[in-house]
Amino acid sequence: MRYKAVHTTTYRYEEPVGQCLSETHLTPRSFHGQLVVDSKIEVEPKPSVVESHRDYYGNEVSMFGIFKTHDRFVVTATSLIDVEPPPARPLPTITWEDARKELSLHPDPDSLSAYEFTFDSPFIAASPQLAAYGAATFKPGRPLAEAVIELSTRIHKEFSYKPKTTSIDMPLEEVLKRRQGVCQDFAHVMIGVVRSYHLAARYVSGYLRSGAQYLGAEASHAWVAVFLPGYGWLDLDPTNNVLPREGHVTLAWGRDYGDVTPVKGISLGGGGQAVDVAVRVVPVDAA
Amino acid sequence: MKHVKDPSKTADAQQWRYVPTAGHWDEAFRESGLPRHAWRNLSVAMRRMGGQEFARRWDVGSQLIRTNGITYNVYGDPQGKERPWLLDPIPLVVDSQEWNHIERSITQRATLLNSMLADIYGPQRLIHDRHLPAALLFSNPSFLRPCVGIQPPDGVHLHTYAADLARSPNGTWWVISDRTQNPSGIGYALENRLVSARTLPSVFNQCQVRPLVAFLEKRRRALQLLGARKSDNPRVVVLTPGPNNETYFEHSFLAHHWGFPLVEGADLTIRENNVYLKTLDGLERVDVIMRRMDDTFCDPLELRGDSLLGVAGLTQAIRSGNVAMANTLGSGIMEAAAHMAFLPALSQQLLGESLLMPSVATWWCGHEAARKFVKEHLDEVVIKPVPRGPINTPAFPAQMNAAQREELIRRIEESPEDFVAQEQVSLSTAPTHIDGKLEPRHIVMRVFAIWDGQGYRVMPGGLTRVSTSATSLVVSMQMGGGSKDTWVLKDSNSDEETAYASSERDQSPANPTDLPSRVADNLFWLGRYGERVESGVRLVRALIPSLSGEEDFGRTATLETTIQLLSALGYLGEEFPAISIAQKRWHIERLLSSMVYDPARSSGIGWNLNNIRRVAWPLKERLSQDTWRVLQQLEAEFSAPVPVYRENRLVAQMNLLDRVIVTLSAFAGLLMENSTRGHGWQFVQIGKRLERALQMSELLLATFGDAPFDLDPAMQTLLQIADSSITYRSRYFTTLRPEFVLDLLLKDIANPRSLLFQFEGIVEHMGYLPGYSNSIQPPPLRLAEAALRKIREASVAELSARDRDGNMLPLEELLSQLKGDLYDISDALTELHFSHVTSARFQPAL
Repeated sequence: MRYKAVHTTTYRYEEPVGQCLSETHLTPRSFHGQLVVDSKIEVEPKPSVVESHRDYYGNEVSMFGIFKTHDRFVVTATSLIDVEPPPARPLPTITWEDARKELSLHPDPDSLSAYEFTFDSPFIAASPQLAAYGAATFKPGRPLAEAVIELSTRIHKEFSYKPKTTSIDMPLEEVLKRRQGVCQDFAHVMIGVVRSYHLAARYVSGYLRSGAQYLGAEASHAWVAVFLPGYGWLDLDPTNNVLPREGHVTLAWGRDYGDVTPVKGISLGGGGQAVDVAVRVVPVDAA
Repeated sequence: MKHVKDPSKTADAQQWRYVPTAGHWDEAFRESGLPRHAWRNLSVAMRRMGGQEFARRWDVGSQLIRTNGITYNVYGDPQGKERPWLLDPIPLVVDSQEWNHIERSITQRATLLNSMLADIYGPQRLIHDRHLPAALLFSNPSFLRPCVGIQPPDGVHLHTYAADLARSPNGTWWVISDRTQNPSGIGYALENRLVSARTLPSVFNQCQVRPLVAFLEKRRRALQLLGARKSDNPRVVVLTPGPNNETYFEHSFLAHHWGFPLVEGADLTIRENNVYLKTLDGLERVDVIMRRMDDTFCDPLELRGDSLLGVAGLTQAIRSGNVAMANTLGSGIMEAAAHMAFLPALSQQLLGESLLMPSVATWWCGHEAARKFVKEHLDEVVIKPVPRGPINTPAFPAQMNAAQREELIRRIEESPEDFVAQEQVSLSTAPTHIDGKLEPRHIVMRVFAIWDGQGYRVMPGGLTRVSTSATSLVVSMQMGGGSKDTWVLKDSNSDEETAYASSERDQSPANPTDLPSRVADNLFWLGRYGERVESGVRLVRALIPSLSGEEDFGRTATLETTIQLLSALGYLGEEFPAISIAQKRWHIERLLSSMVYDPARSSGIGWNLNNIRRVAWPLKERLSQDTWRVLQQLEAEFSAPVPVYRENRLVAQMNLLDRVIVTLSAFAGLLMENSTRGHGWQFVQIGKRLERALQMSELLLATFGDAPFDLDPAMQTLLQIADSSITYRSRYFTTLRPEFVLDLLLKDIANPRSLLFQFEGIVEHMGYLPGYSNSIQPPPLRLAEAALRKIREASVAELSARDRDGNMLPLEELLSQLKGDLYDISDALTELHFSHVTSARFQPAL
């Protein structure tokens, strides 16, 4: 399936801003199952330079600075992406205990790089509370794949989707207590539970195709990938209780939201500020 | 018994005895009680000198520490921010042979740690080949992922390295911690040297101590070399988190010593991946940053999302190769104690050498064998905290009860990679001067290595820190421990560095030429607050005699005049009670006293002094030491206790104010005589003139506005405050007349207190600023010129004429206008030169 994704972020300031510097993760990445045909980032007013490099996780990062006075700026990322997931493979039967052992030994490069995602990160720290939430699912001897699919389903059922009730710096324990939030929160909670069992989980930032009955469409979305030894990374979307396939476009992945924030920046001055995000992902005919 | 000194015949032989602590190595004396070879000269000299003479000399040394303003900030200290540096007068002496071993070991260790950093932030072979556990990296918050793949010039990550060394009872030196982030102590070590060499000059010379200055010069050259590939004349800056940092004194000391600008994050900006220093002359490119800021704080955009101390975009500038950073971002990772467990094998692996100096025995619980050992030897180890780990202070299992130990073992099993155990270290002792006696204290010696462009060089000396008590094994400046100078003795057959020895004391640092705008802002306000204090002092001093009750109409203010003036100046509320003279006097006395002493009273003298301190503190490296001393003296004068009895209080206040006027003149004089006439100096002068003009306008308004019928007492007081009585009398030989007073204080170009003089000064000083000239008049100059014209064109005769109600409306009108002009000039200066001082902030991220 070929998609055209248009992601617009608009900042408005009450008072003019003298300069700003931004870092964006807005270019989708290519990997087995997803090919980026074309992608560009436009900024208004025109920045002095736009510079791109790959970050530690292989995502493309673009940075730009605006050094003239402005009271709004707009970042528009437009991409053409072919999403063709490989045929579904049977999920492995390795138990979560064995998977944990395998990770701690990390005998091959894949499991070594996955091992990194078992550790705490700035926004997600393992905790007894998160482990306790997972206890009903991580029963002894259970296959890891089965457990994480159930965990995703539980979060979908037991948490309610309520925009603007949480903020990104709210401690996970608090989100866990409130049982509500948005896709970032659900992804963080799920990753936190998995890591509390010393298993590897990463945060995936991306889009949902517009028009589908998904929660979190028309905005930037986030879900989870869990490492299954001998299989690789399995994507799970606890917000929508699905295993992402054609309907999900991947932008970037990292340890948590902080590693792959779509747009962040620092400005000088500006008074009150407001930000607006619009995402449109529509199928297009492959030429 | 290890009785040490021969009881000599001097009276203080008894207190000059020294008994080392049993079971520890003593640095100075052998078991036999005889001094070790290296200490012989010092020991003999001290014995000859005797305790009293030694104490006397030490008084001089301590004085030097205070007057040089050597300080160390203690976090969370309710007593205020900085405290004087604690130095013990008895140095630690190390002989040349022993030092050779230390030197080779530290060079090797710095090389090894640098290789490890190059691998961790490069190919990560050590992880892939399992020479270093991956968990050590992944669990360490100092592992900065954005820095992986950044290639520093020549592959050098570690430019300054420090190691803390301890000596075990058998005399072996051990490394107990590695400092790879931004090690502090080199500047303190040099200051210690200056003080100790002056306290014990003859012993110092006799001992043939290796000098330190050559090392600092190497460091300076190495920093410049780092930028040499980008520029013929590389600009190096020292980046500090600011005056509240615990070692700010050292940041400013080193910057000053090397002649590099000391900058805060807000002084730098990034354009097209280049780093620039914001100066009055515009943006100046920076090639090398020597940072004294922890790496995670350096770049709020890429490194740490919750602090704006650093420079947004700095990481990208480094990545682009446009600026070099020493030490590199991410180098702090090597400070984790767990690495020590792997150094012997890594030394073989990376250098093909065995490790010359052992680390304190270290076990990382992430390895099963080590974990087992730790559990079986819990009583012998100390559990060290790891960054963001479950414990944050060292834990001693030997002191735990059964339940606590069980809990500890459970937690180790739960997250073993978060636990590091080390052998409990035994520290050596050295004689320390405590209350006039010699007592043993435990010591840790911090030694330093720098990359000089070809290899690592070890500083021939160090910063030795001393425990707080004979039994304590904690040495920490934060915990109130002291320090010692460290004398490394010369090799008898080496005469290198002697060329530098004579210049050890009088270094003439290059002058930092770039003036950051933030500094200009502070200098401007230094001028303003300084003048405010002076005018406050003059005002109070002129009014105090009116309280004495012996009103001498010819010379001093009357109580009524005082009340009128204070009320016109806004010091007295509307509701000043019309009461008996005695009560009035009591009220005024309290008011004047609070204007002098109460720091909480805004616009009082104490309050303005606090402000001087606030703006002068970040200027520390720009003010001469004498200037700094005068500022300290000012503070000391005002912190003297207030006398209880009224009569004494008035006299004391008068004396205090008289002294302060002299001190202030010294301050102004030093600024005048000891400052190069750079742009910074112009800003001090503009600030001073502007403030004096404001104060004079207020005084004139208070005197002539709503003028009482009899102006004489008020004019009398006015001349007194304006220090112009004598001039008046010698010039006009007459009774007071408003037009003459106005002539003197408004329009007299020769009177340094007149308004005209101030505006002329402002215009003149502005002429020296970059971008100002006759043809190009930026707004501040335009405003000042306009105000100047108003004064020149004003006619004193017209201004001093009273209307039917006795008012002088044209004068009031002019003075109000001038006041407004002064505020506008100040705003225009801020807008033009200091406006970027606007703080940065985060945009909401989405």
